[in-house]
Amino acid sequence: MATLRDIKGRISGIKSTQQITKAMKMVAAARLRRAQENALNARPYSKKITELLNNLLSIEKNIENDLIKEREFKNIAVIVVTSDRGLCGGFNMNIIRTVEDLLKGEYSDYVSGDNLELYCIGKKGADYFSKRFNKVPGNYSGIFSHLKFDFAAKLIADLKFKFLNHEIDKIVVVYNEFKSVVTQNVRIEQLLPIKPEITTEDNKLDNVEYIYEPDKSAIINSLLPKYLNTQMWKILLESYTAELGARMTAMDMATENAKELIRSLQLTYNKIRQASITTEIIEIVSGANSLKES
Amino acid sequence: MKLLDLEIITPAMKVYEGKVHSVTIPGTVGSFQVLYNHAPILSTFEIGKIIIEDEKEVKHEYATSGGTVEVLNNKILVLAEAIEAKEEIDAERALESLKRAKERIASEKKEEIDLTRAEGSLQRAINRLKIVGHSN
Repeated sequence: MATLRDIKGRISGIKSTQQITKAMKMVAAARLRRAQENALNARPYSKKITELLNNLLSIEKNIENDLIKEREFKNIAVIVVTSDRGLCGGFNMNIIRTVEDLLKGEYSDYVSGDNLELYCIGKKGADYFSKRFNKVPGNYSGIFSHLKFDFAAKLIADLKFKFLNHEIDKIVVVYNEFKSVVTQNVRIEQLLPIKPEITTEDNKLDNVEYIYEPDKSAIINSLLPKYLNTQMWKILLESYTAELGARMTAMDMATENAKELIRSLQLTYNKIRQASITTEIIEIVSGANSLKES
Repeated sequence: MKLLDLEIITPAMKVYEGKVHSVTIPGTVGSFQVLYNHAPILSTFEIGKIIIEDEKEVKHEYATSGGTVEVLNNKILVLAEAIEAKEEIDAERALESLKRAKERIASEKKEEIDLTRAEGSLQRAINRLKIVGHSN
């Protein structure tokens, strides 16, 4: 049976852990606010560019651009977006499991044919897959602490180059979408070739006589890479926000658990203490009694 | 004098929102100025200088690395990848990247992708320096 001193030691240990988890929760909460702001600031640009592109694509149907043209998928690249740090609940495991499912299920033919590459953003995914999978050409760790649009643009530039060179024929991204602070959704999204959402109803560009400079297709061709950049940027912001949300929730739960643990340990501690006091009293009383009798 | 609504948006934030007299855009086909009642236009623009004349007729200059502009019903929407006001340009940083880009272009190892990137950053650096009026 645990002695009083053991229990006291455990309680103080849990208390300091609780302090750490509490602090981590606060830090995550503060960062989350900033990340949410960033995600919010990125929204108008991405919304406008998507709108413009979709409108243009629905009036200019026969566009010749390799970025949207469907072709036979010989080589596939999967971008795995995880976090750099742990202690954020099931955040990374959900992504890893989804990717594993993809590799074993839908893309198993590509894996066995050695036609699938993984690009890992975030240290956790990179650590996991670089040990288990031999085709991980892209490994990007430590980008979330100072997230920059340039990173998204550079990554897209590299991937686009490979895509246009027919080294890769399809690119999908697996990432966590920020639903709310407590929930994240794992999303699988096709990045390339671009799948435009053709809008049929109420097309603004159809009704207005625009001057196009240089011309419609040139504008579309210049918009497509920008659209890709913003997509990637949005995904990174989304994932980072989700990560912070997940960490905040996980740390909040850890703090609560610690609280519960301390409560029950304190109860056992009190019980044992009371028991030892009772035994002492019994000993004193019975000692006194035996003196009286003699 | 009638005014136009201007919005300049980058992926990171909204840079400008307000009423203006005119905006000059470094369009791909040629630089053009947008005044009140300009015809609807959808145009791409290149690395260059955007000049805004605000409601107090004060001129502001911005360096941009290209983007898309839409003008409709006296609303101007500028979608730029990157943009910075003349006052924000760091001439020294621009000089440095100019030097770096020149070195990279001159170096032996030439991969196509690096070269295009270096040329881009060279042009952006030259543009920034031109706007701050730095003689390089």
